[in-house]
Amino acid sequence: MAVEQDKYILKVEGLHVNYGNVVAVNNVGFDVLQGEIFGLLGPNGAGKTSTLSAIEGLIKFKEGTIIVNGQSVSEKPLHARASMGVQLQSTSFQPELNVVQILQLFSGIYGVPMSKDKIKDTLKDIGLEDASAKKFSQLSGGQQQRVSLVIATIHNPRLVLLDEPTTGLDPQARRQLWGRIEAIRERGHAVLLTTHSMEEAESVCDRIAIIDHGRVIAVDTPQALIDKHRDDPEVIAVSRRGKITLEDVFIGLTGSAVRA
Amino acid sequence: MEETIIPKTSTVFATLFRADMATLISNRRSAIISLFVPLIVLFTWKGLIKHVGGPTVLATAIAIGLIAIGLMGYTLSVARDRDKGIFQRLRVAPVPTWVIMTSRICVQLVMIAVLTLVVFIVGYQYDGVLLAPLGYVITFFIAILGATVYLSLGQLIVGLIKGFETINAVTRITYIALMMVGMFSTFFENQQLKEVVRFSPYGCVKMMLAASMEPSKAWAHDANIAVLCSLGYIVVFAGIGIKNFQWSSK
Ligand SMILES: Nc1ncnc2c1ncn2[C@@H]1O[C@H](COP(=O)(O)OP(=O)(O)OP(=O)(O)O)[C@@H](O)[C@H]1O
Ligand SMILES: [Mg+2]
Repeated sequence: MAVEQDKYILKVEGLHVNYGNVVAVNNVGFDVLQGEIFGLLGPNGAGKTSTLSAIEGLIKFKEGTIIVNGQSVSEKPLHARASMGVQLQSTSFQPELNVVQILQLFSGIYGVPMSKDKIKDTLKDIGLEDASAKKFSQLSGGQQQRVSLVIATIHNPRLVLLDEPTTGLDPQARRQLWGRIEAIRERGHAVLLTTHSMEEAESVCDRIAIIDHGRVIAVDTPQALIDKHRDDPEVIAVSRRGKITLEDVFIGLTGSAVRA
Repeated sequence: MEETIIPKTSTVFATLFRADMATLISNRRSAIISLFVPLIVLFTWKGLIKHVGGPTVLATAIAIGLIAIGLMGYTLSVARDRDKGIFQRLRVAPVPTWVIMTSRICVQLVMIAVLTLVVFIVGYQYDGVLLAPLGYVITFFIAILGATVYLSLGQLIVGLIKGFETINAVTRITYIALMMVGMFSTFFENQQLKEVVRFSPYGCVKMMLAASMEPSKAWAHDANIAVLCSLGYIVVFAGIGIKNFQWSSK
């Protein structure tokens, strides 16, 4: 495979997603590189989940190309999906299955069956060794989140897609999750995540895209975005205590109106 | 670059099937419902055997059980899992969607086997109905065909309706209606009504089952018509149900 292609693990070009007459994603394009954590930021309803759904193959898109690990999502859906791990915004597993059964199910369908010992180690690693017999529905929100992140990375995928992975976590769990996300980067793999936390975007994302009304309005490193927009009147107008933050830039670019 | 692993379809199927079976087993309630009414028929209709014949009683029991399997077992579990986003989580894995559904249907096949076996055993032990060996074999296959009629009807429901609560209500009403028809149509007087019931999804399945229990004696023109009608129902219901099916209830 050519070196040029090797640099990015995900390439989205000219993506359009419609739900009936609603245009959810309008000509979105960006790349996620090897060893990069890429953040997708945007107000509610901006089109983040819809963009991820198109990458994941959950929805058919009208126009555009999506390449994952050198494979077109529309032409080779199984290959593309095999090289990505996914945590959905609202994920749920069969409530009747316990944690061990869920790990068996997903390691099996990703073609990396786990032995009993491997499952034990994995659960220990996420602090759930005592919860192995519990049903998924009996876990706390944060524990469920941990299980679903483990499943997103169960087959050591080249690309990990996380839709609001830290929403609802306590600070400790959030820090731990950041650590896990950074470990994926260390392996040279890529992460695409969405978040509403500017702090998270600044702390873990190498680059971010701000998306609004289905369009990408800025892509850069968090610091570069701050530097570039620190003199914009809209940004200065919403800043507090004289210091320009990523949140000021975000609100400056997307407006202060609350979304429907 | 590392190789991407595309898991073997047979492995994926085996894994899904194991999980779906585990779900069925821990969800015993729907399985018990599927056996409950057939057992009531077998216990309460003992005295009727000399009037309508043993095969009719067994056929009624199986036919009613199959409705519960198709509607309660299959339809409600698909509707619930779609509503909870369980299918979406499976679909983002490298799994062809037909494998997901095939596993679901195979779990119901296991239930059908359990149902027919229970009816045969209780029918023999309690009601003293003994069939010829060939009758048992053919009845088993006809039960699968009959179940397919109700699985297709269930697919039609989940294909046309999105919301879980609506599906829940529609499914239960359909189940009770078909069950009532099943329990009481034997006693209907009105000839026209009898004809309608005979060629309804319920009547066809019962007719096929009753005939298959005595293949050498009772399998006649009517049974052939019932098979054709059943196939027709399957093609229409499943066709519409699959074509309109959406994986997410959003
Ligand atoms: N299944 C659907 N049918 C119709 N419209 C939809 C559907 N899913 C999303 N939309 C619409 O598409 C737009 C984008 O939604 P999307 O879920 O992608 O937003 P988001 O950026 O993920 O928002 P949030 O931050 O709230 O998760 C919204 O206007 C939403 O109402
Ligand atoms: Mg979203």
